[in-house]
Amino acid sequence: MARLKRISRRGAMKGAGALAVATLGAPAILPGKASAQNRDRVIIGMTQEPVQFNPLLYVNAGTENVPEACMFDALWDMNDGGKFVPNLAAAIPTRENGGISADGKVWKVGLKRGVKWSDGAPFTAKDVEFTYQSIINPKVAIRSRSGFDLIKNFKVVDDFTIEMELSRPFVPFMWAWQNMHIVPHHLLSKEADFNTSGYNSKPVGTGPYTLKSRVAGSHMIYERNPNYHRGPAKIGTVIHKFVPDQLVLYSQVRTGEVDYMGLTGVPYDRWAEASKIADREFFSVPQPWVQFIYFNCGKPQFKDPKVRRALYIATEMQKSLDDIYFGAWKRTLSYLHTSHWAYNPNLKDPTPNPELAAKMLDEAGWKVGADGVRAKDGVKMKFTCSTTAGVPARQGCQALFQQNWKKIGVEMEIKNMPASVVWGEYTTKSQFDTLLVAWEPTVGMDPDYTARAHSKQIPVKVGSGSNYVQYENAEVDRLLEAGVTETDPEARKKIYWRVQEILHEEVPFAPQAGTAQGRLKHKGLKNDRPNQYVTDATWNIQDWHWS
Amino acid sequence: MLHYVLRRMLHAVPLMIGVSIVGFGLMHLAPGGPLAVYTLNPTITAQDIERIKVVFGLDQPVYVQYVKWAIGMFTGSWGYTFFGGRPVLVVILERVPATLLLMGSALSIAVVVGMFVGILGAVRRYSVFDYLATTGAMFALSFPTFWFGLMAIYVFALQLRWLPSGGMYELGAEGEILDLLRHLTLPTMVLALVIVATWSRYTRSSFLEVIHQDYIRTARAKGLRAPAILFRHAFPNAVKPLIALLGVQLPFLFSGALVTETIFGWPGMGRLFVDALTMKEYPVLMGMMMFTAFFVIFSNLIADVAIALIDPRIRLG
Repeated sequence: MARLKRISRRGAMKGAGALAVATLGAPAILPGKASAQNRDRVIIGMTQEPVQFNPLLYVNAGTENVPEACMFDALWDMNDGGKFVPNLAAAIPTRENGGISADGKVWKVGLKRGVKWSDGAPFTAKDVEFTYQSIINPKVAIRSRSGFDLIKNFKVVDDFTIEMELSRPFVPFMWAWQNMHIVPHHLLSKEADFNTSGYNSKPVGTGPYTLKSRVAGSHMIYERNPNYHRGPAKIGTVIHKFVPDQLVLYSQVRTGEVDYMGLTGVPYDRWAEASKIADREFFSVPQPWVQFIYFNCGKPQFKDPKVRRALYIATEMQKSLDDIYFGAWKRTLSYLHTSHWAYNPNLKDPTPNPELAAKMLDEAGWKVGADGVRAKDGVKMKFTCSTTAGVPARQGCQALFQQNWKKIGVEMEIKNMPASVVWGEYTTKSQFDTLLVAWEPTVGMDPDYTARAHSKQIPVKVGSGSNYVQYENAEVDRLLEAGVTETDPEARKKIYWRVQEILHEEVPFAPQAGTAQGRLKHKGLKNDRPNQYVTDATWNIQDWHWS
Repeated sequence: MLHYVLRRMLHAVPLMIGVSIVGFGLMHLAPGGPLAVYTLNPTITAQDIERIKVVFGLDQPVYVQYVKWAIGMFTGSWGYTFFGGRPVLVVILERVPATLLLMGSALSIAVVVGMFVGILGAVRRYSVFDYLATTGAMFALSFPTFWFGLMAIYVFALQLRWLPSGGMYELGAEGEILDLLRHLTLPTMVLALVIVATWSRYTRSSFLEVIHQDYIRTARAKGLRAPAILFRHAFPNAVKPLIALLGVQLPFLFSGALVTETIFGWPGMGRLFVDALTMKEYPVLMGMMMFTAFFVIFSNLIADVAIALIDPRIRLG
């Protein structure tokens, strides 16, 4: 043992020294090779990495839309003009072409012929049926079944025709299929567990690209599908690169390591700088989300609509956008962007008017106490405001609103939490006082707002829906019910204008702004048309090309 | 020696079980959960949430979930990720090489440079070099790593354009060794800077303690040359606390560096941990915790054995 120890000691010392010296010399600064702009590939940089490549299972809109757009197709797409255009469907079903029955309940969809999966198998109605069956399968961890739960009967008429009977007419049904891409029956039906299938890591789709390789945490490489049914994509290779730090990603677009910056986009304080970078093009794209202050109408402070409106009009909304978002976001007075076809242009911005707000609170019986805070029937006008912790812009808004409200005798405490906490039961079980939150409309970009504003959609009362503010108004209920069955666009517009008017008066949620994203790309990249109706920057990836 | 190693490994079993119970319990006690990513979807219903809970097995009592997970671990099945449905072991192992490379390079450089600076500082105490090294170490330890990272990117990638700002390879050049070294340089330097500072301080104080001992004075009195005194007599004694320090730092080879990997987009374990934590990916978090716990125990065992090999006075067992 003693002998072993003597030898081992020297050996250990020498070995350690040699290993350290050998490693020390390795990573020296080495000259890099000059890389010319590759005109047959595009590098799209995002701060988040997709974890799901099966389009039915994705959870992170934005980044997981890239594999979806590259490898899969839906029955129809929403284009940048706000119109549905056929993709795997041969035509958009309408009443005029007989695709939708007169009562709006039966939908008949003809499918494109000659489409092939990237493994060569033919695409048929069986694939659409299987996709529907997977969506309603309770064992599949799918993000939403909205719209699909209304299908009473699904029938495969022939290899290229399907027919769906709905339990009631539902105009936004088009959005349900636009948002769900078709998966292959011949591969997935054999899998024991849809959620953990090996297919989810090596997907096969009908889309313009196929997955060539993936380096976890770094990037995914897609190659052109030469047999794509809408014609081969113009760029041969798409690289989806993950750079977690937003500033570093911005630097990489500047240095040419990334051609297109998507998802979180350019930081707001760099928009002016980004627009001046040589050989790069900066542009702003409206995003589907609208940021609100959510008032929990179930709490005693917020039961009275007059109080909610007073709190709303006391805030300096426009100032928050100018000072904190550097004017990047556009003020909206509704749950829709001002550019949405159903937006009510007659709404007038009541903010900021602290004098009127104070008067309204006085009239509502909330009097200023000795401590400077208003109270009524023993309840103080004190509450918390929560959002995801660590988002400086939102914290800035909260601080501004806190000051605004303090001036009218209202005390707000900022109580931010990690995303997994604040958007969990704290929100879904309506435990919050107020939230600062950005949400998109509920069914694609359709103006329907049933899930958020109908009294039968309050989860703490009925166990379903996402009316987390617990708002109840019989007229809004009636209007929302009428809105999803009315097929005439002008009549629908009037319905949603009235919904917006009521929400504007009663303020269950105070709209701040329609969100926007600053994108930066190489000037030579063309036809990457921004689309405010979808969360996906790559919605038309097959049409992108270099000048 | 063998008996000692076996005994320590047996002790590790209840320790690992304890770590897993505490970790699993804390993770489920913490507010929030993996379903929050679904609730952000405006059209999801309470029934949908309940359905997904069942699919993920989150509807069962925590102790049942733990037992199922523990049986899986024991039988070699680490479970599947909630999001992506991929085997947890595969998800972890595919990140290990990148982390091992980054942390291995940074730690090796830092240990060699840190020890050199520390020894020189101790031998030439209160010299200009010593003051510079001390000030530099305090500077490196005082500034956050992300600041160094962003500065390095700004200077070397954005302004000078000598080195890439992030990633592991130039896209399309996967496997090229020179390209890899170029990408490795900045994150390694940033990480090594902080570790060098730590190692130089430890080394300096350890050597200072040793070189003032009687036996060193005796060696000097015998007329031995300075290098012989330093390396034959002082080094083996001064290096023992440093081996213990190495034992503590070795697990980082596998656990990764959260901030540095995020700043430089390095596809390692640190990034995986941040992503898993954000989404509350319980299976991945538990897998990573067990993986790291194993290496903490293993590294400390290696350090203890190494100290025993170096110091004949220490008897193991």
